[in-house]
Order: sequence, then C-alpha cells, then structure tokens
Amino acid sequence: MAANLEAVPEGRTRLVKSREDAFEALFKSEYARVAGIANRVLADPHEAEDVAQEVFINFHRLHSASAPFAPAWLHRAAAHTALNRVRGRRRREKREFAQAPEEASRTVDPQQMLEVGEDRRVVRAALARLAPKPAAVLVLRASGLSYAEVAQALGVGTGQIGTLLRRAEAALRKEVTRGSSI
Amino acid sequence: MFDDPDALTSSDRQHYAGCAGCQARYAGMADDARAVATLLAAPDLQPDVASAFKRVQSAPAVKPRFGFSLPILRPSSRPMFVGVAAAAVALAVVATAFANVLPLFQPKTVEPVPVTVADIQSLSALSQYGTLTWSTQPQPKIVLSAADAEAIAGFKAPAAGYLPSTMSKTITYAAMPKAVAVFTFDAGKAATAAAQTGQSLPKLPKGMDGSKLTVTVGPAIVEVYGKMNASSSSDAGSQQINVPELVIGESAAPQVTSTQVTPKQLEDYILSIPGLSKDLKAALKAIGDPTSTLIIPVPIQYATSTSVTVQGVKGVAVGDNTGLGSGVIWIKGHVFAVVGPLKQIEVVKIANGLKS
Repeated sequence: MAANLEAVPEGRTRLVKSREDAFEALFKSEYARVAGIANRVLADPHEAEDVAQEVFINFHRLHSASAPFAPAWLHRAAAHTALNRVRGRRRREKREFAQAPEEASRTVDPQQMLEVGEDRRVVRAALARLAPKPAAVLVLRASGLSYAEVAQALGVGTGQIGTLLRRAEAALRKEVTRGSSI
Repeated sequence: MFDDPDALTSSDRQHYAGCAGCQARYAGMADDARAVATLLAAPDLQPDVASAFKRVQSAPAVKPRFGFSLPILRPSSRPMFVGVAAAAVALAVVATAFANVLPLFQPKTVEPVPVTVADIQSLSALSQYGTLTWSTQPQPKIVLSAADAEAIAGFKAPAAGYLPSTMSKTITYAAMPKAVAVFTFDAGKAATAAAQTGQSLPKLPKGMDGSKLTVTVGPAIVEVYGKMNASSSSDAGSQQINVPELVIGESAAPQVTSTQVTPKQLEDYILSIPGLSKDLKAALKAIGDPTSTLIIPVPIQYATSTSVTVQGVKGVAVGDNTGLGSGVIWIKGHVFAVVGPLKQIEVVKIANGLKS
C-alpha cells in the first residue's frame, strides 16, 4: 500500500496520500469495533484480530475509505468472515460430536454453558449453523451496534431489526439445544 | 419493547397490562434475549490499534494480473460495485488458467464457481510457470461517441432499450480492438520462482515445457453511464465518490488455442495447485464441457450468484454482499455484461432490454 506512493506520478501522489489518510482515519475509528464483532463470533481475541485485519485489507483493496457505506461494509464483512471461519470448523466438530456419544443425553442450561470453553465452541457452532442474516443480526447487536447500524450493515429497514432479532434469538437457543444433543 | 421499554406508547402499555397473551409472549422473548446475551458472551479483547494498523499497512499491494488496468476501473472511481468487478478480474485469472488451455476454447454458456481470496492468490502462482507476452497489446481507448466505439470494435454498440428513469443521460464510451496474448510454459522459470518464494508448487507436467497458449480477447465496447470526470482537480475532489451509475459491456467471446497442452493435462495441473478450496475444485470438476463454458468466479466473501435467464439464454447474476451493486453476464454470440449499483431485478431488466 505504501509502495503506491513511490510508483505514482506527482500529480497522483496527493490523491493517493489522501486515500491513505482516509483509510488510516477509518481504521482508527472502526478497528476496535470490527475486531469486537469478530471476537463475538469466534470467542478468540487473537483470531478475531486476524479477521479484523483481513477485513480491512480486503476493504482497502476494493473500496475508497471515504465511501459512506464503509463502516456498514466493515461490520457486515467482520460478521460474515468470522462466521465463515467457524463454519470451516463445522465438519471437524461434527466428527468430535460423533466421537463423544456420552454428550448425547446431556441437557443444556444456557447459564451453565459458559462455564467451560468446550461449551463456548458449541454455541459458536450453533451460531454458524443459522442462516447468514439471523446470525449476523445477533452478532452485530451483541457487539453493541444500534438498530440503525445493524440495519445499515445488513441492508434492511431499521423497522425490521426488532423482529429479525427476536426470531434469531429463538432460533439460536433452539440450535444450541439441538447441537448439543447431536 | 425488550431493548427499549420507553418506546412503548401509552395505549400499547394499557393493552399489555391487561393481555395475558402478550405478557406470555413478551416473557418468552425476554427469556430468549437474556439467554442469548449470556451465550454470546466473549472473552475480553483489548486491541492494539497502532500495531494492527502497521501490520495491515505492510500487507502487499495487489498488482494487475496483466500489467494494465482500464482507466474507468481506477480504485478512486470504483468504490461501490467492486464485488462484481472483483469477479471480472478473477475471471481473467481462472478463465485463462483453466478453460483456456484447451486446444480450442470458445465459450457458449456461463457457469459460476465459488472462489476465495486465497484461491485467487493460489491461482496467481500460475503466472510463475511461464512468460506472458502480448503479440497484440490491449489498447482500450475512451472515445466520444458510439460511432467511434463501433469503428474501433467493428460491431454495433449495444443500446439500452430500458433504463430506470433516474439514470444519467451522460454516457462515456470505451472500446478496445482485439488483443492477443501468448503464454509460454517454462519449467526453468517455474523452478526458479518456486525456489525464490519458498512455495511448494506442483511440478510442471511432462511435455508442457515450451508449449504455448494463444489467448485472443476482444474486440470490446464498454458504455459507462454517469459523470465520470468530476473529481481529480483538488484534494477535496479526491474525497468525492465518483461512481458509474451503470456499465454495459459487450465483447467477442475469448478464444484460446494451444500447442501440446491437452485439456486433461491442464485440469490435473490446475487442481494440483496447493491452497485451492475444496468448493472451487468441486465446482471446476463439475463443469460438464469446459471447452464451451465461460467460468464466472464469484468471490464468496463479497458476492453471491444466481442463475437467471437473459434474452432467452442462461446468465449468471452476481450480487455484491453489501446489497449496493449487482451485475449479470451472459453469452449470446458475444459476451455481454450489465453491472451497476442497482437492484438485481433492475439490472436483469436492463439486460433483457439490451439491443445489440
């Protein structure tokens, strides 16, 4: 990225510098939130930061940092990229469930689930099994985004968020229970 | 009501106070919300923004695959529907890498395949297996009228029969005469490149060393709707977003001829490249007749694709994940594309109304 400054003629240097400055400002204002969204999905701060950096690199390659949709794009991309990482683990987790039949008869109390890291993975796997939009609604809202910000990130009306959220919450609880009894 | 109890109107509040059904429903929803808040609790994250920014800054810049980029697709002028544009760029990578090594490739239909950024990076390693030279350089030109574009391309510029009422009347035409590239496989260069980068690249199949692929692209015409030159005179201007309202493209279908290389050799070779996702491999294997199928790579992190019927033939509609842009590509003699920051239904309608 910085190499661009050397490669462009003088007339373009100002424009490139302006793009870099805009990107840095965007990065500083949104990085913590983007990483937070990824962390909400992954429950792993290190991997969440990997995802956040990947999201910003992809954004910088594709879009202008001064685009009005930049924060919404970043929030959505953080949720989807992190969910895709969890989905990538699903096959392995299914095998692990199959190899642990003693878990089959366990009943789930959400309060108790947080007590062990293994259960945290069960929750993330359940989240990744939801359809993309409900999963993203849950993650973005749980990460502190307002209804309006969630709506912008997902390209839906603000008025729909309440209903989407309630349905997604019910779906996640159901999925957690189902996942833990596989 | 759960997130913002104050938002309840007094009449709603009165109804709620006397309605057992609403109270039970609310109790269930509130229970779900509390449970989910607990389930989605995450460990503390204390990001070091400054060092994260340094890491992101040091990420390598992307270079144009063929050493040039169209002026209408400069980064500063393409902020919105890049999900679609990325598919077009990746198309060049995958189409030249896979389908084009056939003795004769002339696509008659289109097929989407899912690609990831990692896939594109892996496929770009192909360029280290030989030398790409242009025997006829691509020379895209911005021209003043449809007639000028037609004179360069040698065919009639596509005309939109339907456009949304808000569409700009300003059209910029670009045209490109036929361009011919020759890719020569070179086992020595591949070995050197692999040694320098430390990558473990699959060995070049026997008999491919020295073989040539001749790729013919274009002629092509691109029509860009919207004012494209409003922003390059000042710093303030560089902050403006200069987005085409619609792009319509028509190009002769790419053709490929090869010496020595067989389709089977190429397929095996492509599929042996490390780092390709299972989804991409499966999609490539599933394509029935690669000699007549133009592969449309869909970057799954940024875009979605659906099959649509355009002008009576099969087309692929690609939507940017941000919901801000979509495009459709189809082959009817020539390859056509309509792309814009519009809803998919509008883009397909414009595509169906196109007269060529």
